[in-house]
Amino acid sequence: MSEENLAARYAREFADTTAKMSKAAEIFAKTKDADIDVGATPKHLVMRRDKVELYRYEPIAERKAQTPVLLAYGLIGRYTMADLQPDRSLVRSLLAEGLDLWLVDWGRPGRAERWLTMDDYVDDYIHAAVERVCRETGHERVTLLGICEGGVFTTCYAALHPDKVKNLVLTITPIDFHADSDDPAAHHGFLNVWTRSLDGADVDDLVEAFGVLPGEFMSSVFSMMTPMRSLTKYNIDLIDVVDDEAKWKNFLRMEKWLADRPHHPGEAAKQWLKDLYQENQLVNGKFVLSGRTVDLRAITAPTLNVFALDDHIIPPTCSKALGPLIGTSDYTEFPLPGGHVGLFVSSKSQGRLSKSISEWLAARD
Amino acid sequence: MAEEPKSSADALADTLAQWTEQWRKIAEVSVGAGEAWSNSMLPFIMTRAAEKRTGLGDELSDAIERMAQGPKLADVWDIDRKLMASFLAWTKMRQQLAAYNANASRPWMRAMERHRAAAPAGDGAPSWRDDFAAWSAIANEELIRNQRSDEFLQVQRELLQAGIEFRKTQTDLSETVSGLFGIPTQSDYDELSRQLTELRREVRALARGTSPSAPSVEQKGDRHE
Repeated sequence: MSEENLAARYAREFADTTAKMSKAAEIFAKTKDADIDVGATPKHLVMRRDKVELYRYEPIAERKAQTPVLLAYGLIGRYTMADLQPDRSLVRSLLAEGLDLWLVDWGRPGRAERWLTMDDYVDDYIHAAVERVCRETGHERVTLLGICEGGVFTTCYAALHPDKVKNLVLTITPIDFHADSDDPAAHHGFLNVWTRSLDGADVDDLVEAFGVLPGEFMSSVFSMMTPMRSLTKYNIDLIDVVDDEAKWKNFLRMEKWLADRPHHPGEAAKQWLKDLYQENQLVNGKFVLSGRTVDLRAITAPTLNVFALDDHIIPPTCSKALGPLIGTSDYTEFPLPGGHVGLFVSSKSQGRLSKSISEWLAARD
Repeated sequence: MAEEPKSSADALADTLAQWTEQWRKIAEVSVGAGEAWSNSMLPFIMTRAAEKRTGLGDELSDAIERMAQGPKLADVWDIDRKLMASFLAWTKMRQQLAAYNANASRPWMRAMERHRAAAPAGDGAPSWRDDFAAWSAIANEELIRNQRSDEFLQVQRELLQAGIEFRKTQTDLSETVSGLFGIPTQSDYDELSRQLTELRREVRALARGTSPSAPSVEQKGDRHE
């Protein structure tokens, strides 16, 4: 290519980019935070316990499965990832499949929740929610649908209270916290590697200093896991989508979800990072909640384990480890393409995820 | 003649002098603290830093460390020790940050070398988007590889430890100042929340024992969208 042509191309590319940036600034100025709605599927509050709230979603289709489904997200991030926008909402898709869907929302824990443990979350909050759902619906057992850390909570609950759990559905849930070493992908499992590089005393000191595992701190760790994506999302990716209002709003919804990262209660964070990530107590049969050892073999409910094949936060190997450890033979794995968040928000996985869950549940209702 | 621009050492010295003055004012308005302040070594050390205009050398760092870690006296120097400890923790955190940055810069250099080596030969220059995508993929790979190295994990851990230590000294200092003014401290709050959490557990255990399905505070009918 001649120098003249090259110069002309550079000038054209520069002009195109400048025009897009100008449009980005214009659209950004016009968009209000209130226009970016996440977690918008209608629901009503049924119970409040401290900062924890139990909701029931409004039905949008004829009921196809009778057993109520209780959705539990983790304490890192918020449940809104499962209900990010109307056309990319696991919540809405499951409702459309005729499920009776409930949500336990942990709210936004802060320093006041410093002393809450996973014992409290599993044996108090989830247990109270399950009892309340049963009381409201007349069922003796519920289906638990856990996401990420929430999947660990529901797994523990299913092991400690098998009589209350009809089905267990897990999505992107770590069980063997050291199985990242079996995952060959270099970009998978940095969280596991990083946590093991710390001493237990480091975790104690962190919680002692801040009272919590700060949400901003975890955000920075997650940003490190996709370094170039984190560095280019505002200056390259954002400009790329500014021509398309739908994509632009998707981008902002994701940003809103990322920004809404509450602190993780301190004592529960110690259990999460030390007992599970560092010492892998769940698969070693040493994890104790409320004075009882969590024995995975005590899980007798049919179990569906959904994981993302390119999950860089929870490597698939960490999720798949559950199969041989639980006490039910009705165990199904459902791998899906995509990443940790993509499983819930990508257009490709939407129908497949909700359909696989609803069909699996309908067969066991 | 135009005034010479200030060096970073001069700027630091000015900042230290201003800091000293602000702390002196705070101490003046708090009963008891003023006396401790006037008896302290802090103004001496800070003034010396300002006079030398050389910033923080080893000699000064050593002096601050001795001050922060020396024997504790019952009636004097308490707030000064805490201030020194915080200052010392800050300098250590800055040192760890420098070590971290040195390590974190290496993958960028490697990425640059790889990208240069992979540049297409001949006249066909790629568009900046294609070139950036190629560069970004290489940089991402190098950054992730570096993050998983023992050396990176070690400097990151040391930076975290230094940051936590600095935070603790800040808390210690702020609690001392709060104490001077009779303001409840973070420790007071933590202790209260601990008592409340334990009390709540006991109450709920009792309630569950008598009525397993007793609901807690409940509100029905609130619609949330």
